[in-house]
Amino acid sequence: MKKILALLLSACMLLALAGCGNTQAGAPAAGTNDNAGGGSTPVENTGASLQEPRVAELNIMMSFPQYMDQWETYCKQFEAKMLAEENIKVTVNLEMPSSDQYESILQARLTGDDAPDLYTLHCNNIGTYNKAGNLYDLTGQPLGDVIYENVKDTVSVDGHLMAVPIESQAWGVLYNKAIFEECGLQAPDTLSDLRAICAALEERGYTPFMLAFQEQWVPQLMTGLTLGDIVSGKLTDWLERMYADEGSYDEVREIFDVIDLIMQHGTDRAMEEGSEAGAADFALGKAAMFVQGTWAANTIMTTNHDMQLGVFALPINEDPGCTRVNLSTSTTLAVYPESRELELALKFANYVLDENDSSSLFQACSFNPLATVHDYEAFSWVEDASAYVAAGRAYQDLVLPSSVTDEQGRLLQEYYVGSVTVDQIVERLDKAFQNANALS
Amino acid sequence: MANEKHPNRSLLLFCLPALIVYILFKLFPAATGILYSLTNWNGLNKSYDFIGLKNFAEIFHDAYYWNSVLFTSKYVLVMVIVTNVIALGLAVAIESRRRAKGLFRTIFYMPNMISMVIGGYMWMFIFTKVLYYLADNWGWKFLDRSWIGDPRYSFIAIIIVAAWGAIGYLMIIYMAALQGVPGDLREAAAIDGADAWKSFWRIVFPLITHAVTICVFWTLNAGFQVFDVIYALTGGGPGRATQSVAINIYEEAFKGNIRYGYATAKSTVLFIIVLIITMVQLKVTGSKEQEL
Repeated sequence: MKKILALLLSACMLLALAGCGNTQAGAPAAGTNDNAGGGSTPVENTGASLQEPRVAELNIMMSFPQYMDQWETYCKQFEAKMLAEENIKVTVNLEMPSSDQYESILQARLTGDDAPDLYTLHCNNIGTYNKAGNLYDLTGQPLGDVIYENVKDTVSVDGHLMAVPIESQAWGVLYNKAIFEECGLQAPDTLSDLRAICAALEERGYTPFMLAFQEQWVPQLMTGLTLGDIVSGKLTDWLERMYADEGSYDEVREIFDVIDLIMQHGTDRAMEEGSEAGAADFALGKAAMFVQGTWAANTIMTTNHDMQLGVFALPINEDPGCTRVNLSTSTTLAVYPESRELELALKFANYVLDENDSSSLFQACSFNPLATVHDYEAFSWVEDASAYVAAGRAYQDLVLPSSVTDEQGRLLQEYYVGSVTVDQIVERLDKAFQNANALS
Repeated sequence: MANEKHPNRSLLLFCLPALIVYILFKLFPAATGILYSLTNWNGLNKSYDFIGLKNFAEIFHDAYYWNSVLFTSKYVLVMVIVTNVIALGLAVAIESRRRAKGLFRTIFYMPNMISMVIGGYMWMFIFTKVLYYLADNWGWKFLDRSWIGDPRYSFIAIIIVAAWGAIGYLMIIYMAALQGVPGDLREAAAIDGADAWKSFWRIVFPLITHAVTICVFWTLNAGFQVFDVIYALTGGGPGRATQSVAINIYEEAFKGNIRYGYATAKSTVLFIIVLIITMVQLKVTGSKEQEL
């Protein structure tokens, strides 16, 4: 018995050793292969046998594992296209770390000389990454001609296109149209409208707001919307002054009127509710409204296929001019400038907005149309939000330092559980903003 | 014999493979990490400046950091007591059984084999769904607490999950030590009229103090580095109420202002704190150890 065990164990060890040996022996070989093929003129190498396709590898890292299938299919299409059109046998290695760890993995890879050829990036980080020299300038690429102008602005730095927009949305508050209809309610234009809606809903036994504050970024959306409202409608120079250390959150204290209203008329146990669970519960009718972006639509519609989802702009005061939707780009795709397969990487970047295939990808992921090549019919909630945009009632998402954004999320959690007051929030946010200014 | 002249040589040779890996992947990065604590590197830029001890000076005024140190100390204190008492209790209980020792050992050791992140998410489900189900449907109102949102209760939740994961490991160490206590000593004590309680504290416990040293050392060390349980359960929230030092460092390095240099300085300070505390602990408990 013991002998058999020993034999088995040694066999396992041998296998493991052989495995290590293989990768070690294989690594330099693959490396040289890459180097040979990675040069901008691969013709010398492949020239001898033109029929033989050039072998290449493309590493792509993306932050939305929920769309893994859709992107894998798209990468397969790209591989086929490259083989047919360019005679390149590309293997696309698609990595999808979970979104909360994505940034730390990406940073480790970028600094560890192991950068992916293409990677997704939050739009707000474009400036930082550009400064660090991690973004290839995409100006002049064919994709630049098809992106809508207002979306293009969100991914450009000084007029240079730095990334391919992927998720772009107009968003505000999600609401359940069926419940609103049943109670004879309409989307609000002012804060008192919203108060009336809350009262009417509660009278009928509905909970007005879905609260899911477990993850800090969800409560943060309330500051995202209300600050945007107030800055676009009233204090247009507030953000500039904040960056110059001359403003204060005290000036925008008004935003807590609506934040209080939402927190007072929300579901219980908000800190125990994650964003996905919140979206699912909202879909099942546990509350009538949810301060959440249209990116949650996928979860909501999967949970309840018959959900009638709508979007309205969050009012913050009695001025309808301040009631607007947020127009923002979240996820973008960047090309690493020192990529060994730069040309191929650029081809992929262009292929994301390909005139034949892009529409089906964007539709499959329920992304909003953002380029002229997207000719599919948008969802009802996208149309709701687009109506605000068309009427000029939208603002470009505010770009705050990400440490301030994080701090807002944290403080709103604390505000919800009652461990800070508005005065303390104002003080701490001012300080966080000044710290971020000092560091940049 | 060469071995008799250099008894340490063969020992060293056997340890060498592990030692090389340890130096290469643990010691070397840790040492170079200290170098980064003297810079203002943001983890992305290709260049950075040496700024001397500025980072360390800043730490002294960083209230969030010291709050997280305080929280971690509280966590360590509770964890050291709770896990060691329960693990020793379990070890004694299982060792005193005649049958099914293996079964109980396996059952209690099982949580240790699950990654704490996964364990954390499992418990998250229990704290956010199961307990409320019990509270709402079975009338167990005492469970209707904000287990994640209220720092008082989330601390309890964190301790429960962390202890659940760590106890099995400590229990195995205690069991090994208990098996090393010679039976004749206990018999002699029994003949002298000592009851089970007395025989445990007078005979058994002094003989397993080396295991206590190891276990307390391990819980202290692991406790100061706690990250995964808290990250999976509360994420350090609400706000920063349950932020451990490791989470504070992580957020400094990867979130917000992405300050690698400053975060490394913070971890250097943590390293020094842990070093001092464990050295004191080893000195204190080591002096009480009994040899047969």
